[in-house]
Amino acid sequence: MTFLRSKVVLALAVIPALLLATAADAHKLRAKGVKVAVAESTLSVTPSRDWNRLSARIGKNTESWTLDGGQLNDVTFYGGIAPGNPLVKERSKKKEPLPKFTGTTLLVEVPELLETTYRAYRQIGAFAVNSTEPVKFLGQDGVRFTYTYTDGDELTRKGEARAVIIKGNLYMITFDAPRLHYFDRTISDFHALVDTASFG
Amino acid sequence: MFRKIALGGAAAVLCSMAVPVTAQEKSAAKQGFELTANSNKKILVFRPSVRVGAQSTGGVFEPNAEWTERAKANIQAALEKFQRKLGNEVIIAPEAYGDDARNLQEHMVLFSAISQAVIEYQFFAGNRLPTKKRDNKAEVFDWSMGTGVADLPGAKDADYALFIYNKDAYGSTGRKVLQILAAIGPGIPVTSGEHLGFAGLVDLRTGDLLWLNADGQMGGDVREVDGSEKRVQQLLEDFPGSVPAKVAAK
Amino acid sequence: MKRYGAAIVSAWAATMAIPAAAQIAPLPPPYVGAYQPQGVDEIGIWREDDEAERKLAASTLVIQDEKLTFYVRRVLCDTVGTDRCKSVRIYILREPTFNATMVANGTMRVYSGLLLRLRNEAELGAILGHEFGHYEQRHSVNDFKARRAATDILMWGALLASMAPSYDVRRSYGNLELSIYGGFFRYNRDQEREADLLGIGYLNKSALRPHAASDVWRNVMGEIEASARVKGLKKPNFNAIAFTASHPPEAERAAMMAALADPAGRSREDGADRYREAMAAWLPIFLEDQVKLNDFGASEYLIQSLAESGWTATLWFARGELYRLRGHPRDLVNAAEFYQSAVQLDPALANAHRGLGLSLLKTARPSEGQASLRKYLELKPEASDAGMIRLMLPKEGAPN
Repeated sequence: MTFLRSKVVLALAVIPALLLATAADAHKLRAKGVKVAVAESTLSVTPSRDWNRLSARIGKNTESWTLDGGQLNDVTFYGGIAPGNPLVKERSKKKEPLPKFTGTTLLVEVPELLETTYRAYRQIGAFAVNSTEPVKFLGQDGVRFTYTYTDGDELTRKGEARAVIIKGNLYMITFDAPRLHYFDRTISDFHALVDTASFG
Repeated sequence: MFRKIALGGAAAVLCSMAVPVTAQEKSAAKQGFELTANSNKKILVFRPSVRVGAQSTGGVFEPNAEWTERAKANIQAALEKFQRKLGNEVIIAPEAYGDDARNLQEHMVLFSAISQAVIEYQFFAGNRLPTKKRDNKAEVFDWSMGTGVADLPGAKDADYALFIYNKDAYGSTGRKVLQILAAIGPGIPVTSGEHLGFAGLVDLRTGDLLWLNADGQMGGDVREVDGSEKRVQQLLEDFPGSVPAKVAAK
Repeated sequence: MKRYGAAIVSAWAATMAIPAAAQIAPLPPPYVGAYQPQGVDEIGIWREDDEAERKLAASTLVIQDEKLTFYVRRVLCDTVGTDRCKSVRIYILREPTFNATMVANGTMRVYSGLLLRLRNEAELGAILGHEFGHYEQRHSVNDFKARRAATDILMWGALLASMAPSYDVRRSYGNLELSIYGGFFRYNRDQEREADLLGIGYLNKSALRPHAASDVWRNVMGEIEASARVKGLKKPNFNAIAFTASHPPEAERAAMMAALADPAGRSREDGADRYREAMAAWLPIFLEDQVKLNDFGASEYLIQSLAESGWTATLWFARGELYRLRGHPRDLVNAAEFYQSAVQLDPALANAHRGLGLSLLKTARPSEGQASLRKYLELKPEASDAGMIRLMLPKEGAPN
């Protein structure tokens, strides 16, 4: 048998978009102490240290920051995903649809939404949601959840996220990093960041 | 002439982005790190990753075990000779099994990801992170694998660990690859034959990356003893302590 | 169907230069003992495979379950014989796609997605036997030599994808050096036919029902069609899909396998019960891996297919999850029914109560929903989302 996995066929289609995305824009500095809006939304944060904003965007109303490179630490902001939309841009709406945030998605189901998005997008088999707890976020009742997964580069990563649904839209900030050294190293910087999250 | 970058760490990269020579970093060392000659430091080497083969017309990498074995032996010998000149001892890491093997593997994968990040976000001029750009200006090289390295097999008996990756493909051009790539993303040059060399030195007490050398265009035919010595020389170019009184990052 | 099958076999037989009179697959040649690689190419490939295996053995994605691995090995040995299976090392990977590979040095990788989709030992034997056929005929070496002349666009696709600058969007094949997936071999159709022939030959000789082989392919195709249908895509052109393009056309293949199977073997057992028992602990996990891939049509087809031998709480639960996760209004109503069926069969299945509770809440049945969620917490007070669920329940006795 030994056939290629279907994702290989699709890999070729990804390349042009990626190359275009990173062609012109440089990554931008997000300076310590300077309040800044993120993810093309009214969501803003004030970094407690210098961060870098990655130029490539994985979807409308998303933005990713890093200290050392996305593969080592990645904070992603989801600034108001509206019902009917996936979390990130689909490679192909028809052939590779991603799970959608809906008008009936409950806060307790948001971790599953992230999980299924990661599993479908990265075609991975090993993903576990480790904890799901209530937390105040952006002034409202939100959810804090943690997770672990092994990605296609064979690195096992840990993740932590905050999410809340406000006026029917999903606001979420996630932090992903390898479980070896990198997650623990930056988790408090991530906490400092989300604590400053606000509207306007 | 375009200089190749080993994008994606130890991924089998067969093409590269076009970048001017002058803007390329090739190696860097942690600020203030010095490895003085004859300091009798012990350097642990994990199963060196060496692949030698031929790159055929279609770009298929044809592994050649005889070449690889020879290259491995040559590189090993050249490594030891080089290190002895510096006055450091090279220890080959013991074989690991079970959980130890899995832990080592995860560290190898992490090292690969870190090296990849260094190249993509600090070395590669077109893609530098602003904070890394600043680091470059201040001659800061701040990357780490974490203190977990102290538990790797053989770590207790050594001061530093050397990760080596070396892939050579000798041979003819990848014409077809060129055509596909041209169709997908015009302007991406492809060089034929591939000589990726990649070496990193990690402090086994702190996990800090003391030195990294990434070179996508190395010389020396590793199938020959002289070539291997040259290759090791290149891999370990600017190895700390090898050139006295040299400042850290290039 | 028989006439069609015979026509296919003789047409196929003509290309393989096998006399049409020899309708069933011949018995495999006698085993010649441990083989050592010869020649530069072969030694090179074995060495690469050996290196890959070292990394595979240390990978986090390998399922470290002795019982499961031992079972798969037993089925391989039952199929190809203990002489042959001695040289094989089997690794089961947590990877939701349908695939199994075997490389030149005897490393066999079986993906969890494959184990999920098979229904009995005969089917598993058919796959493993087929893979073993490639190995015994040293197809990877021969193919490697042939492939030098051809461009494998899809292989480059994988490598190109690894070049993508942003980690987030990268479909990372990662470091080929460290990759545990082994080489992306694409055998040609004749080699696939040869492996099929050998595979059925093994099955004919074994105690398992050889006709199972064709069932596997019919199900694979059915799943692909179901997936495409739900996505609103055209009926798939199997010649354009990588893995089918590299194999003989499915209709031909299914028919050929049925024809090659020894008729005397028709009454042999499938080992379905033994297979289900061996997979029991892992089925819920593999199902979850599949459902969460967001391929509704494929998952629905699979669940229905598994349910042919009887609906279980696990299957109803998986179906409930599938519908709830898609979450259209009608889906939620259906999901509630499926979860209901699950808890009827297994009242202690805590997660089914959770799914039921959430689905009822979302379809305007709050008090029933809350009752189910309470049941969930009762059964699983230590649940990782207990805190959130509790917040959704009014205090006992308080008005809604």
